[in-house]
Amino acid sequence: MKASTSWMREFADLPASADVNEVAARIADVGFEVAGIEGEVIDFEITANRPDCLSVRGLAREAAVAFGVSGVERPEAPGSGRPDVPGPDVPVTIESELCGRYALAFADVTVGPSPDWLADRLASAGVRPINNVVDVTNYVLLEMGQPMHAFDLARLAGPEIRVRLARAGESLTTLDRQARTLEGSMLVIADRDRAVAVAGVMGGAASEVSASTQRIALESAWFQPATVRATSKRLGLKTEASARFERGADPAAAVAALSRALGLLEEMGAGHRVGRVVDVYPSPQTPRAVTLLRPHLDRLLGDQVPDQDVTRILAGLGFVTDAAAGSDGWHVEVPTWRVDVSREADLIEEVGRHWGINRVPATFPALRAAPHRSDSGVLRGRRIRRVLCGAGLQEAVTFTFMESAAAAPFAADSDSLVTIANPLSEKFAVLRPSLLPGLLDALIYNRRRDITDVRLFEVGAVFSVRGEGHRVGWVLTGARHGHWSDPHTEVDLFDALGVGDLLAEAFGLAWRSEPTEDTAWFVPGRAAALRAGNGTRDDRVGTAGQILPGLLVGRGLPAGVTVVGGEINVDALRAAAKTERRVTPLPRHPAVLRDLSILIDAGLPAASVRGTIRANAPATLVDVREFDRYQGKGVPDGRVSLSLRLTFQDRDRTLTDAEIQQALEAIVGALSGTHGATLRGN
Amino acid sequence: MADTSVEDLKQQFHAALDAARTPAALKALRDDYLGRKHGRVTALVKSIATAPPEDRRTLGAAANTLKQQIEQALKAREAGVAADARPADALDVTLPGRRGWTGRRHPLTQVRERVEDIFMAMGYQVIEGPEVEDDWHNFEALNMPAAHPARDMQDTLYLSSPVPAPDDGRAATLLRTHTSGMQIRYMEQHEPPVRIIAPGRVYRRDNFDATHTPMFTQVEGLVVDEDITLGDLKGTLNAFAEEFFDARVATRFRPSFFPYTEPSAELDVECQGCSGRGCPLCKQTGWIEILGCGMVHPAVFEAVGYDPDRYTGFAFGVGIERLALRLYGVDDIRMFYENDLRFLEQVAL
Ligand SMILES: [Zn+2]
Repeated sequence: MKASTSWMREFADLPASADVNEVAARIADVGFEVAGIEGEVIDFEITANRPDCLSVRGLAREAAVAFGVSGVERPEAPGSGRPDVPGPDVPVTIESELCGRYALAFADVTVGPSPDWLADRLASAGVRPINNVVDVTNYVLLEMGQPMHAFDLARLAGPEIRVRLARAGESLTTLDRQARTLEGSMLVIADRDRAVAVAGVMGGAASEVSASTQRIALESAWFQPATVRATSKRLGLKTEASARFERGADPAAAVAALSRALGLLEEMGAGHRVGRVVDVYPSPQTPRAVTLLRPHLDRLLGDQVPDQDVTRILAGLGFVTDAAAGSDGWHVEVPTWRVDVSREADLIEEVGRHWGINRVPATFPALRAAPHRSDSGVLRGRRIRRVLCGAGLQEAVTFTFMESAAAAPFAADSDSLVTIANPLSEKFAVLRPSLLPGLLDALIYNRRRDITDVRLFEVGAVFSVRGEGHRVGWVLTGARHGHWSDPHTEVDLFDALGVGDLLAEAFGLAWRSEPTEDTAWFVPGRAAALRAGNGTRDDRVGTAGQILPGLLVGRGLPAGVTVVGGEINVDALRAAAKTERRVTPLPRHPAVLRDLSILIDAGLPAASVRGTIRANAPATLVDVREFDRYQGKGVPDGRVSLSLRLTFQDRDRTLTDAEIQQALEAIVGALSGTHGATLRGN
Repeated sequence: MADTSVEDLKQQFHAALDAARTPAALKALRDDYLGRKHGRVTALVKSIATAPPEDRRTLGAAANTLKQQIEQALKAREAGVAADARPADALDVTLPGRRGWTGRRHPLTQVRERVEDIFMAMGYQVIEGPEVEDDWHNFEALNMPAAHPARDMQDTLYLSSPVPAPDDGRAATLLRTHTSGMQIRYMEQHEPPVRIIAPGRVYRRDNFDATHTPMFTQVEGLVVDEDITLGDLKGTLNAFAEEFFDARVATRFRPSFFPYTEPSAELDVECQGCSGRGCPLCKQTGWIEILGCGMVHPAVFEAVGYDPDRYTGFAFGVGIERLALRLYGVDDIRMFYENDLRFLEQVAL
């Protein structure tokens, strides 16, 4: 809302010494942010709750209270008019309760350009001058905040006015020359035959005031905010009028605004009122009454505003205050233009913002109860970040929404994707089903900028039609060590598995990796399901693998780059997480280490070998760990040499060579019998 | 007397051995004691021939022992000195060491956790909640009924079809426009006193440019108790600003409008770039807006079943991106979402 200081001074006795900057600053201090100052024109940002300040008078009222000066109340006179000319007989019918008041006045006019002073004021407020009649309606809109519309009376069939809902399929060409198809929910102004204006939004071209217009019908009405808002949105048509009606105009101002317009027309020599003002106002609004109690005022502000300041502020803003009988406070009558004030807290805000929030002494609230522990998800997120950053992965933050084509390969099925009804663009059309697509795009973004070693992770929400879940995902590409001494070794599946292993360790989760075939985004044969628990139910907590090269090329990565990654459902981690673990006392007796190198079929999973060893070993076997795996010279085709380190330990005694030997023989025998394994080298 | 001279020789040798730390010194020491012509032990052995016959046997044994001891000590020292000698293949110490990979928390995480930590230290509980929300928790309970003009302040992204909610059965229909829904949930489940912050991603149907992204990060706070005042809000947020900016920053509160608070305000801090004198960063105003706040609207208390006559409270919402832009001196918010390692690796480990 742009308002010049000279215009505001017509309604507020502002000190002559206050320049435009000071006026702007004082009004900003009471809640109207200044977007810019040009000459003596200030551009204010008006919050959605204050339609009354979409007007020069409203802003002047705020300025007067801010400066502690009096406002200028000016009763509007409709001019002397032409009593000698008989007025027209135009019946007005309101057929929908969405219109609360409809007033109509008539004037004989000589359409022409506006005088310079008026054209200049409109221009300073950013409104283009059109002709004297239209300009006067816009002038009153800016000054009083009441939208008006002028019809060429000769173009209204009847002539009569009916305020009704549009008929289905009814159409209207609006002033902006757009042909618009109306819907049955839209309120229109109609003459005898058809719609002539979209109520509160824009008039029709057919009844527009033109150079040949001789008699006008001036409309000043009140429409229900929600209907104007809905219609304006539906038509994609925002106007100065709709902006005010949809936030709430002052129903009491309708006739005063007509008077002001008629007075202006006469003053400019542009026309004269004829006939009487028609005013259909079925249930006149009475001002709301609100009680403001002193203890409530003091309690909410934490400050004591003196009585005379409370009443000065409220009265200056147009509230009528009366000391409340029998209690410490005031009965307050709310002016009809203050659509935002309906209860005590609203009045306290009025007092607070004009008293000055900055004057209220700062205090600190007492902590009266022990604070609760933060949500487990918050602490879990922190732990994941600590572990993965420590492992040399960089945290990424990627968008929750993405284009459908990027998301689809990672969804269980395309029907499970959550789509956005009104996306900003196709790039933000669906909610991510997985963290991997966003991470991969970030990885590719870096690769395309010649950053070859990329290690990223993200913690965040994923979505499917079944609901929201929480995951941690990671992607790795480039050199494994990133050191000049080993530039050629690239990351592989086991780097991705290792990240999962770290997380499992961090959350005290016993888990295992198994081959899987149902991850369409991983290379077949290089995809693992990460499972926790005993395998009797769906205990999959995540996946890891090598990303399909075709997917990556499709997203812009040059061919031939290996990328691995994985993802874990952190809701599962939350369920399993033991954040504090008891330690067991260290053993007093030495452990015995034995290395075992065996030849097995290349396709035999290590987990099977481990399982056979454990199943055939005494309880003193406490750890089995692979430390070498070799194929090539000295190993027959189709076989692989696997070396394992076995750790034997007993808490209570030192193990003897004989029993270790016996255990090893049993293990080797079982490996040979079960897997056809043979001892190597020896 | 001959014993004494053996003992003397031994002590002298060990003193000399301690000082001999190079191959050359060891060679000299060997010659000095074991040299064929002038070696001191050699001389001792030769002198046995002139000793009284009854002493020769003892003296001979002592001299031999000494010779062997010296030989052994020299050998051990020579081996040690050889191992410590400069290797033939010297390494280039100007090459980079093996440091392993380093990872950092994302700058938005760092700022968010910093805000969380400040409030946790003031006794706040950090809570989390769903990013897809239902209309009640995102709007209605926050004094924004359907068709409320304030809904336009937060242009909302809606889901094509509802998604089940994990907790209370209300299906989610939209992407949350703020984290206030979590505060409603919390109040629905807990009685006052309340002292929480709710961090998280929020979504608006905003253009994607240097100052707007359709997704951003917020931390909202809520305190409810008997007799919570606007002064308490000021004291709390002043303390936060001082701790966050690590300085005695001037603050100012400007009245504003939010549907769920009354009175509402915006908090500005003195511009760090110009100390309040005015610069391009603060658009010459000397102030930077950092958050919105206010006293909880009684309609919100009514929506969650709190008695507005008994309880008052305050709420605030901080935009993490906005703080991060200031903190890191970044002028394009999109940088936070590009995940360019050249940017991410500039922030603290
Ligand atoms: Zn500045």
